[in-house]
Amino acid sequence: MKFFHSIRWRLQLWHGMLLVMVLSGFGFTAWRLQRSTQLQRVDQDLERRVAVVAGAMRGNPSAPPRPPQDRPEDPPQDRPQDRPRLRERERPQTPRPPPVTGTEMHLAAHDENLFEEAAGGGFYYAAWLPDGREISRSSTAPADVPYPPRGDDPSAARLRGNLREYVRFMATGECILVGRDIRDEVAASRRFAWILGAAGGAVLLLGLAGGAWVSSRALRPLANISSAAAKIAAGDLSQRIDTPDSRSELGTLAEVLNDTFTRLQASFVRQAQFTADASHELRTPLSVVLTQTQSALSRERPAAEYRDSLAACQRAAQRMRRLIESLLTLARFDSGEAAADHQPCELDQIARDAIELLRPLADQQQVHLDADLKATSCTGHPEQLGQVVTNLVSNAISHNRTGGSVRVTVAAAADAILLSVSDDGEGIAPQDIPHIFERFYRADQARSGSHGRSGLGLAITQAIISAHHGTIAVSSVPGSGSSFTVRLPLPPPPSEN
Amino acid sequence: MRILVIEDETDLLASLVKALREEGYAVDSASDGEEGLYKAQSWDYDALVLDVMLPRIDGWSVLERLRQTKKTPVLMLTARDAARDRVRGLDSGADDYMVKPFDLEELFARLRALIRRAAGQTNNQIEIGELVIDTAARRVTCAGHTIALTAREYVLVEFLALHRGTVVTRSTLYEHLFDEDDDTMSNLLDVHVSNLRKKLGAACITTHRGHGYCIL
Repeated sequence: MKFFHSIRWRLQLWHGMLLVMVLSGFGFTAWRLQRSTQLQRVDQDLERRVAVVAGAMRGNPSAPPRPPQDRPEDPPQDRPQDRPRLRERERPQTPRPPPVTGTEMHLAAHDENLFEEAAGGGFYYAAWLPDGREISRSSTAPADVPYPPRGDDPSAARLRGNLREYVRFMATGECILVGRDIRDEVAASRRFAWILGAAGGAVLLLGLAGGAWVSSRALRPLANISSAAAKIAAGDLSQRIDTPDSRSELGTLAEVLNDTFTRLQASFVRQAQFTADASHELRTPLSVVLTQTQSALSRERPAAEYRDSLAACQRAAQRMRRLIESLLTLARFDSGEAAADHQPCELDQIARDAIELLRPLADQQQVHLDADLKATSCTGHPEQLGQVVTNLVSNAISHNRTGGSVRVTVAAAADAILLSVSDDGEGIAPQDIPHIFERFYRADQARSGSHGRSGLGLAITQAIISAHHGTIAVSSVPGSGSSFTVRLPLPPPPSEN
Repeated sequence: MRILVIEDETDLLASLVKALREEGYAVDSASDGEEGLYKAQSWDYDALVLDVMLPRIDGWSVLERLRQTKKTPVLMLTARDAARDRVRGLDSGADDYMVKPFDLEELFARLRALIRRAAGQTNNQIEIGELVIDTAARRVTCAGHTIALTAREYVLVEFLALHRGTVVTRSTLYEHLFDEDDDTMSNLLDVHVSNLRKKLGAACITTHRGHGYCIL
């Protein structure tokens, strides 16, 4: 069954069927053409002889013998200047045939030659009176030449076995039949048919072979594609399709697939890296829990030491909880789950609330927190937008210096809503800027667990902003501060009613 | 035995230091790479417990720069367990490698092995005549009888036994048996040595006046 479903074999089948149809059409037409030309020639010969016999019947001998094949189409009547001269020359030699008297008819000797065994080429004739009585027949005529039935046409050709016969009914009612054995022509025609068949078969085989070659060549990229795809499916994501010719349709397909595979691999690598990073982040608090508990349980201790151990375990657990919450948040954004539920909200109010919550942290770090919030409506998820402000501002505070300042502005521009958080802190090194939105990326390679940071804050911020169809940009001068600018789309204009 | 722990996670550092002290080690601590490297270069520690991810200078660089001057045995602690990370750790001069989270017991055992190997010992048991020092059980037996020793006395015997046959100076002993937080009185060593002589027999530790002590 696979055989019939293979594109290659189906192509071959169609190709073969088409070839067979075209070849057999051509062959049959050629054979018919050749056969009808042959019969026409025979008929012409027969017709000429009918004319001779008819002439003899009317007592009018024909022209002197000329080989029938040499005789041109123009009959002797067309050359009147020849006739008298010829007749005068022939008359003394050729005894005038007696006129048909009821049942008798004679051909001139040279006309008789036309129907002789040796020279006549197998022609024969027979003639009948209108009442069906036979007048005459040539010696070569077969014994069983029947009186022909009269059709609409006074003269007609017919095929009787291997015999071609031409019949003419005279105006006076007599019937003349001239026939010839065309066994040779039939054999020749059959031979021609065989040759045509053989040639057609050869062409068909060649065509099929050529077609097979072309189709296997054309479909080879498909085999490459499917083998590469199979290897990728088996887990080897580094496989790519070998595409020597990128201009063909399959080449384009292969390029598209290669692009897809590359993106797929990149996303797999990212995912694997993310998983490794996530487990790495969990390992440190987990080792705190393990060492604290193992050490605490190794011997009897005063209550204060147990309390210290439990407190350390609690801090580690809190850290793990924060990390897991962040991971889940990101996973929800990755799956598109968190993007729903957008509603009209006031960004300035959201920012104000977030800033108030962070003011104690700013005071503790002795950072001046300054806000310029213009009334701005937007569409979004208030809690998520609040998290954006919280993440950006708490980042700005903790990366600031003592006595530094953080400035938050919210405003609506002509084409977007702008939220910006700038600080005059330590800034970000240029080589870190492209990576700061990556998950678990930290400019300082150390974990900063004491600040409660997971390395996911900016990644989450970016995920939230993307879910709101916005963008986030950062500019920074190391040593003099950084500025994060969030652009959110304007809310749709309020409807008319 | 004096050990330096370099780890930036405060809670982990504190519990490691505490657990190692309870094991009888003199323990110093550092919470970033710079401080850790400075301490590791300034003292001859018996072993180093080094975290890979550190502020300022990361663990790899600390190791690389330390190896230019010191042969201190180093045990790397890391949260990364990919094979290439382990290979990198061992190739850049670490003597052992542990992935977080780890068991304290295993950490102790690995540290013991590191210290033993650094002293040229392959066995946990050091036998000196009738005296057998079991470094795994931290126990000293004489002719089959266990001898009760304080933690300080035990490390003193162990250190001398590990450097058997060589004269260990008083300053070396101070350096290896007391950590930076100890307020050691200068005659404390003499007190420990005289207590040990009472318990193990007067002949076991010889005093080389002006040089130090030796177990033969």
